[in-house]
Amino acid sequence: MTRKIAIYGKGGIGKSTTTQNTAAALSHFYGQKVMIHGCDPKADATRLILGGKMQVTVLDTLREHGESAVTLDRVCQTGFGGIRCVESGGPEPGVGCAGRGVITAINLMEELGGYTPELDMIFFDVLGDVVCGGFAMPVREGKAQEIYIVASGEMMALYAANNISRGMVKYAEQSGVRMGGIICNSRNVDGERELLEEFCARLGTRLLMFIPRDNIVQKAEFNRQTVTEFDPASTQAGAYKELAKRLMETTADELAIPQPMSMDELENLVVKYGLLD
Amino acid sequence: MPMVKMKCDESIPERDKHIYQTEADKSIIPSCNIATLPGDMTERGCAFAGARGVIGGPISDIIAMVHAPVGCAWYTWGTRRHLSDLYPWALPGRLANAAFNRRYCVVTDMQEKDVVFGGMKKLEKSCLEAIRLFPEAKGLIIFTTCTTGLIGDDVQAVARQIEQKTGLLTFTAESPGCSGVSQSKGHHDFNTQFYRQVHALRERRPELKMRGEEKTPYDVCLIGDYNMDWDLKVVKPLFEKIGVRIVAVFSGNERIENLVKMPDVRLNVVHCQRSAEYIAEMEQDGYAIPFIRCSLYGIHQTSKALRETAAFFGLQERAEQVIAEELARVEKSLAFYREKLQGKRVAIYVGGPRVWHWIKLMEELGMTVVAGACTFAHADDYAKINARAQAGMLVIDAPNEFEIEEMLLETKPDLFLTGLKEKYLGRKMGIPTVNSHSYEKGPYAGFAGMINFARDLYQGIYAPVWRFQWGINTVRGEENAVE
Repeated sequence: MTRKIAIYGKGGIGKSTTTQNTAAALSHFYGQKVMIHGCDPKADATRLILGGKMQVTVLDTLREHGESAVTLDRVCQTGFGGIRCVESGGPEPGVGCAGRGVITAINLMEELGGYTPELDMIFFDVLGDVVCGGFAMPVREGKAQEIYIVASGEMMALYAANNISRGMVKYAEQSGVRMGGIICNSRNVDGERELLEEFCARLGTRLLMFIPRDNIVQKAEFNRQTVTEFDPASTQAGAYKELAKRLMETTADELAIPQPMSMDELENLVVKYGLLD
Repeated sequence: MPMVKMKCDESIPERDKHIYQTEADKSIIPSCNIATLPGDMTERGCAFAGARGVIGGPISDIIAMVHAPVGCAWYTWGTRRHLSDLYPWALPGRLANAAFNRRYCVVTDMQEKDVVFGGMKKLEKSCLEAIRLFPEAKGLIIFTTCTTGLIGDDVQAVARQIEQKTGLLTFTAESPGCSGVSQSKGHHDFNTQFYRQVHALRERRPELKMRGEEKTPYDVCLIGDYNMDWDLKVVKPLFEKIGVRIVAVFSGNERIENLVKMPDVRLNVVHCQRSAEYIAEMEQDGYAIPFIRCSLYGIHQTSKALRETAAFFGLQERAEQVIAEELARVEKSLAFYREKLQGKRVAIYVGGPRVWHWIKLMEELGMTVVAGACTFAHADDYAKINARAQAGMLVIDAPNEFEIEEMLLETKPDLFLTGLKEKYLGRKMGIPTVNSHSYEKGPYAGFAGMINFARDLYQGIYAPVWRFQWGINTVRGEENAVE
């Protein structure tokens, strides 16, 4: 059965980079059939898989050619490692309703049968915070059953992760979605790993993977590639390989309903680790 | 507080607070203007309907651009008669009264993709297209609804662009349906926003103000009259005869250029005090224009309105003369109807203030109001009802259909003044109805209107059709008995 996974996290934390690198590792090292559905109006969740090509988005097609023109041929592309890519697209900043766009795009993909059963994993790469109902669309009933949050040891990333968890508690009851863990995309903050470990413990989840900071990620991005494609033998590719493995090996009892912290608790936690030096 | 517990409200006890019987010595104010309860099948409208349908709609030479999915436009399309005397005879190919503001309905028809990507470009295009289609339009008002309010389309920016491109006076009324508990919020929103925008427009384009030499010491604005079935045809001459000049009516059959001159008058006369007193208050604060409240229904109240307006300008003598003339004109007819209607009992169901407007009018015809219901009234409306009603009148705030039914069963009125939806309920019970919203054959306001009103009440009660209400056999039986 296809595992549907939603990736959330603070804006700019590296959700798209992590998702694409993980997808590439899953495909390259383990032969998994993977799909990425980008749910950000910027439509930049698949460029590393597609070698930098900007993809035709579902919503642009809808806008320019009408609903009947939205076909899988047009909006689905295959990139590195046979990874299938879809971008919702959406409005320019400051106009329209991006949340409604996410809903529309996912509905269209379902109608078209775009989430085919032979896939092992589908990743929904969702914009920043869950600002409105539309951005929670990927975790509604019958959609993603697992959520992973990308975070770092920076305070704002933890605030965002805690806040997203708060939203997910409600959805856990409604749709049965569960939290699979936190992926730390390291910013080289002091005491980062310890802070994240305690944060995860308090949240009632696990630190799925601590991805060290390495310039090779940026170098690969510069070449419009994932690390796995750019240099599969590198240590960083190994890190993503390990993340891919842990993701594949995740069992049902490792999925939990998060217990978000109060603001006071969260602040105390950050202060505790922030005052190390 | 002796609140009334209706049988139909057994499962919604919260409704008890909305229903009461008037008392002789105290003014009971029910719960009102609060959110509808789940399970209460309310008949309320939405805020957008209040702004678009009630206040914006009657302005005769503007395009009411509804920035919404098509359904919002359909449900607020003017179902009233074409109450405009805008005759664009000078335009080629147009011979009839266009009355486009009511006859046509313009909407941006927002669709999924417009919602996702924003509807501002579509709105601008639609405005320009509507202006091409209706060259007689002198202005345009953009109304937002839930959909466009939520996605935050900047309609004010579009309005400015349209004004720059076309020179037409362009306004916005941002009152999404979800912004209040009933249409009343839309009235308020429109008042506030229109006042502010007129103020800004006059700063920007001072040539639109009334020039000094155009002004007279007797300039008034009639606020809160929507020209229901041509009420203004009988109301305006009354004021003119006593010597005042009505510069603008807010907003029945009015031209937008006159509405921009509202701040130039000496006095505001407020008829509908639920939907439009807001703007009178703002004119008082902003331009030091005093206002008086009045009712233009019934002999006594119309006379009082004329007397009080005249007193402001020192025109009392002329007012007395006009009142005497009008009374002489209607006396004979009134005597006929009074005799026929004497002792009849009525129930009134309206949107807001007309229950209190009509209590004294019914008394003048020898009738008693035994029950009243208002869809969106506020506390002050109920205070006005209490000040005029006899003790024991049943009053329901924001009634649902079951309550209306029970109200009719309990109070057994001879006549039910109500809207188009509920009239069938009354008629099936054998209770004649008269349209309380847009009238049967108006106008109903003023002295002459009083006669029309009395005639329709009389025709309602005495219509021969009611002989058949218990079936044709009963009528035959009756005839046989006579023979």
